[in-house]
Amino acid sequence: MIVDKETKYDRQLRLWASTGQSNLENSHICLINATTTGCEILKNLVLPGIGEFTIIDDRKVLPIDLSGNFFLKQDDIGRNIATAVKENLIEMNYEVKGNDIIKSIESILDNDGFWDTFNVVIVSDHLSQIDQLKEILWNKKIPLLIVHTIGFYGSLQLISNEITVIETHQSSKLYDLRIDTPWPELQEFVDSFEFDKLNDIEHAHIPSIVIHIKALNNWKLNHDNHLPKSRDERLLFKKDYISALSRNIHLEGNFIESVESFHRALRVTQIPSNLQELFNDDQISDENINLSTPIFWIYIKALRNFIELNNGLLPLPGALPDMESDTESYVALKSIYREKALKDQELFYDQVIKVLKSAGRYEDEISKDSIATFCKNAQSLYVSHGSKKSFTPDQIQQLTSVTSTPDSLLEIYFAIWAYDKYLQEFKVIPSINDIETVKQVLASSLNISEKLSPTFVMVLSEILNHNTHSYHNLSSFMGGIVSQEVLKLTTAQYIPLDNVFVFDGIHSKSDKWSVN
Amino acid sequence: MTFREELASIKPLLESIGPYNEFPEEYNSKDAIEALLTSKVLVIGAGGLGCEILKNLALTGFKDIHVIDMDTIDISNLNRQFLFRTGDVGKSKAQVAAKFVEERIGDKQLKITPYFGKIQDKDLEYYKQFSVVICGLDSVEARRWINATLVSISESNDIIPMIDGGTEGLRGQSRVILPTISSCYECSLDLISPRTTYPVCTIANTPRLPEHCIEWASVIKWGQVFPNQKFDADNPEDVEWMYTAALSRANEFNIEGVTKSLTLGVVKNIIPAIASTNAVIAASCCNEAFKLITNSNPILDNYMTYSGDDSIFTFTFELAKKNTCSVCGVTGISIIAQNWWTLETFIEEISEKKDIQVKQPSLTTSSNYLYLRNPPHLEEITRPNLNKKLSNLINPGEEIIVTDPNLPMSLKLIVSFEGPELEPI
Repeated sequence: MIVDKETKYDRQLRLWASTGQSNLENSHICLINATTTGCEILKNLVLPGIGEFTIIDDRKVLPIDLSGNFFLKQDDIGRNIATAVKENLIEMNYEVKGNDIIKSIESILDNDGFWDTFNVVIVSDHLSQIDQLKEILWNKKIPLLIVHTIGFYGSLQLISNEITVIETHQSSKLYDLRIDTPWPELQEFVDSFEFDKLNDIEHAHIPSIVIHIKALNNWKLNHDNHLPKSRDERLLFKKDYISALSRNIHLEGNFIESVESFHRALRVTQIPSNLQELFNDDQISDENINLSTPIFWIYIKALRNFIELNNGLLPLPGALPDMESDTESYVALKSIYREKALKDQELFYDQVIKVLKSAGRYEDEISKDSIATFCKNAQSLYVSHGSKKSFTPDQIQQLTSVTSTPDSLLEIYFAIWAYDKYLQEFKVIPSINDIETVKQVLASSLNISEKLSPTFVMVLSEILNHNTHSYHNLSSFMGGIVSQEVLKLTTAQYIPLDNVFVFDGIHSKSDKWSVN
Repeated sequence: MTFREELASIKPLLESIGPYNEFPEEYNSKDAIEALLTSKVLVIGAGGLGCEILKNLALTGFKDIHVIDMDTIDISNLNRQFLFRTGDVGKSKAQVAAKFVEERIGDKQLKITPYFGKIQDKDLEYYKQFSVVICGLDSVEARRWINATLVSISESNDIIPMIDGGTEGLRGQSRVILPTISSCYECSLDLISPRTTYPVCTIANTPRLPEHCIEWASVIKWGQVFPNQKFDADNPEDVEWMYTAALSRANEFNIEGVTKSLTLGVVKNIIPAIASTNAVIAASCCNEAFKLITNSNPILDNYMTYSGDDSIFTFTFELAKKNTCSVCGVTGISIIAQNWWTLETFIEEISEKKDIQVKQPSLTTSSNYLYLRNPPHLEEITRPNLNKKLSNLINPGEEIIVTDPNLPMSLKLIVSFEGPELEPI
């Protein structure tokens, strides 16, 4: 049977389209430790068709490994664990390439070029060389995800010194209609509607954008060009400037819609503040633009230049929401928005070429499609500057604080950290009998002299009582979470975690924060 | 593999009592393990969530698992329903999934019993045998049915908890329903966002979006061209016809954007789905089932939402029981009717209401038949009532009982009247 890829991947293409899929298919990820959680992560990446994965683990399969792990069979006992799980994973989707490396991390760590092949590296469970690996990947700008599942608890730390996303899919920022600053073609279209001369049917089909622009112009004429601001002014605007244009506000659907969506008319067209910050980034100063500047930052520099040439406005995205209207007016309006968007894209393209050439680079690095995508998303770009720190001094203080913050899961994160630290020192898994030693390990590594908070001790006791790393429900939960973050990083769509996530499977709650 | 090794991944959870255990005096690790090994669990749905749920249960000590699904395997399932392969396309999801998990785990004690059919095929006695029911469904109707069934069993027997999961793209939710004790599925019916619909006049006269053209082809044109044939979204020829019809409509009106993928999306009401989200939600559901059966830790009270499109966010809250719930509430749903409404208008109005949602309702009062769809001779007798004013058929404050073939329970409506006697112009 021939399987059509578009049909097989239909349900995910509706989330990230063919561009996201192609990014995913060109990605190579690395998993260190073939744990239950690690296998669950890979399962969710093999199914949607990630390009390639590599598992590093030098252990052999023991009977005990089968408990909780779906990707090990009876026959696998005694085999290399990386080879066994690779085969059992790849069998779900032969379009994915899988590799196994039966070596210790120690023997690979210093092979500098080795890590360059990966888009993302995942460490599941304990790794003695985690600090060295963090440094190596940080300097190479390769995202590192560290995941732990112990008992009913799970944690994820996403370490990356820079993440940039163009297609963030923020539905709240979908439309940029420029009702307060119509360009000449749009104004001309609005002026072509002489409300008084229309018959009742035509009048009831004037698109709400036309109504909004008319109403706002009228308001500005009477108010020194100021927009309605206070609550009273907004009410007045709705009543005397929108409703008043209607022949019957109870019957004309387009006017009813215009009143309901009046906030669109009052939206001020401006540059988002996070974009202003990006324009000041060091990476786009003239001396720093060079052969290795990522294309995202080339775009940002070009965008800054574009705005200077375009009266301080971003490129128009060009999307138009549906609204009550006859077909002809709507189609005409839509094409006015599209034409303007295309014109802006042309101008932006020229700016990109200039920046590229200034760095001795060529236009074949970019495509018209990627320019269009960038322009459509210019107002919802996402950039995060991560951290490789595990926690802050303030957070350490929380462990001895008498007042615990409700709903904070910081204690769980530290309990997992302390557990891992114990494992690092004693090379065995701690149990509830070791609670005093675990506390000492924590106190000495973090220089804590005060008494640990009752909440923290309770969490620590929970984790030491229930010290399994492969309780399948938690492994599968965190496997879902981690794979989703990898999908966001590899497709370069949606907004990833910044940068710590904790799940409490006892109370079914989660928490997240950024270590800065 | 020995028994000890097989349960190694969960034994630490059960052998010692953690500080959050709610009943430390009563808790006993032997009982907990025994409960896991002997409890019968029913999984409804063997799709995206169902595959995950079956795997999770089998790997956390459950031995007697039943699964129901009426669907067969489709190519578009393979991006997430990891128990199915290309060669399985067309076979029963429940049967293939059960066999795969049994074979993979290779444990003679593990029994997964599939049923290839509808949940409505089974009677109350069947459902009474389970300790917990976990649902991974994509239909509101099926959830309403199983919810009402479990509430009615729980009213006179032991409570059968229902754990319900759902996903859409990068979002989802999981919840625990203790029938008669906590809020049930019906209590939250008005939380479900309705399927996008477009006004008929827009579709017929002023199309603007590609979706309008597709709806025109499916709602209007298909019926004109094939009056006696039902559209089959799984038949490529039907879909091709629909796409061509929608495209020519779009060209006529200069509307861009009709594609085959969009056409399929609209006519099949396709919801995006990936393995990751299903894994998160199914794991949450099974974690609750594990805690519930073993008493090792408290269970979710009672609703958790999840979204992963903008960072990772969950929200856990207690959804309140509704007094007017038709399934577990004590009073009926209050409806204010206009004095001029005919019975037919009344039926149209209530069918659309979010907390009612019926497709083929029959209405009676304690003393009269208002309108019955079946049997045919009663339909004929009650049909003239449709054109009569409701205010002439019942007394204010009188209770109307609504039944629908898709619902195992009846809905109680308490009607009061207001407004003019004649329809306003």
